[in-house]
Amino acid sequence: MTYRAKFEQELEDLKLELIKMGDIVISNINDGLKSFLSMDITLAEMTIKKDKMVNDYEKTIEKKCLQIILKEQPVAKDLRLITSVLKMITDLERIGDHAADISKMTIFMQKSLKPYVIPHMKLMTEASQKMIKKALDSFVKQDLGLANAVINDDDEVDAYFEEIKGIVAEAIRHNEIDADYALYMMMVAKYLERISDHAVNIGEWVIFSVLGEHNHNVIF
Amino acid sequence: MNCSIEKNIIVENLNLYYGTKQALFNIDMEIPRNKVTALIGPSGCGKSTFLRSINRMNDLIPKCRIDGSITYCGENIYGQGMDVIDLRRKVGMVFQKPNPFPMSIFENVAYGLRCQGVKDKIELQKTVKKALVDAALYDEVKDRLKENALSLSGGQQQRLCIARAIALSPDVILMDEPTSALDPIATAKIEDLINELKKDYTIIIVTHNMQQALRISDFTAFFLMGELMEFDETSKIFSHPKHQKTEDYITGRFG
Repeated sequence: MTYRAKFEQELEDLKLELIKMGDIVISNINDGLKSFLSMDITLAEMTIKKDKMVNDYEKTIEKKCLQIILKEQPVAKDLRLITSVLKMITDLERIGDHAADISKMTIFMQKSLKPYVIPHMKLMTEASQKMIKKALDSFVKQDLGLANAVINDDDEVDAYFEEIKGIVAEAIRHNEIDADYALYMMMVAKYLERISDHAVNIGEWVIFSVLGEHNHNVIF
Repeated sequence: MNCSIEKNIIVENLNLYYGTKQALFNIDMEIPRNKVTALIGPSGCGKSTFLRSINRMNDLIPKCRIDGSITYCGENIYGQGMDVIDLRRKVGMVFQKPNPFPMSIFENVAYGLRCQGVKDKIELQKTVKKALVDAALYDEVKDRLKENALSLSGGQQQRLCIARAIALSPDVILMDEPTSALDPIATAKIEDLINELKKDYTIIIVTHNMQQALRISDFTAFFLMGELMEFDETSKIFSHPKHQKTEDYITGRFG
């Protein structure tokens, strides 16, 4: 006989909700960058609107976590799991904000600016999206190997940022890029870099939920 | 029988049988002094049987047989020549249901002292008062010490039973689900009291309330089907239990 079937179901539901929240965030990053590269203001506005869904998910999941703590008095791995969800949704929400920030760059930009297209922006976006996917996957599977991989993947995204910075600087020197566009582009790259940092945070909370250690400090 | 050994109760290879039915299997355990040790486990797992074997309460049950040893202050309590009365004076007990004697509040606490031969009135009064103060009951009953103890509330009765136990200045207090018949306020009072008492006494408590074990105990022992599955610091048991069975029990997956 299975005990605490309702509690088990609530924990499974939490994981599911987190994945759904993650999916929206990942798609918003995608649309944000797409709107920037194609100067698509309509898409940018839609993406900013969609960020509200991310914020709603954060509130819903937060409420569920607190209710489970209140009603079920979880201990050991259950308490770690719920605590890590509470921390991870904050990071996901921030990532959502940055996806909206990227879309705002599209809106701030003047349509008259000449785009400066390099493949690195898209590659950097893909790399950070992969990190989020991997981080959430490592949570659902409670897989330490995957969680650690997310932390290591951050170097790749950081390297893209440095490369883009170099390319933009070079383009400015040769007058190949609009000064305004260069600034917006660097802002977008910085947001992407921050997004990957938040993915690292999620990976670190996965490690906590498995081991009770956060950044090698024993918490619980 | 006063002792200052760090681990004042040492249980070695303890087996206990009720007739042909074995209730405890090869228990090995060292219970540290001046700490609260909680015994947890599903009903019928042997935790109360184990608790009662520490002051030989099981002697009163017919066909109960024990092998192995429990050493208290360096002496096997099941050894020949052990004075059981003396043992129970040093290892007191508080039960699940408050069981005051049908006499006055004062006499309840004085009873054990009188049995010991204390006759001096002033000494009796002094000791009774101290025990009631230490059991955090004195302020509530100081004006009605002559009233029948049965007129007290359940929570007060339980604290009176604790006062009765500590009046004999024991070394160890055994508690068998001391709050399971009490409301949350009375429970909180007993829990606070346990926290105070551990400065002077070694406390071993059976509880079915996991959160209570977490709040009040320093060490936790998990029993299952007569075996000691796991014994460790309470913080470890409730964060990283070593055995899957322990984890399943404390997280409520069975039991």
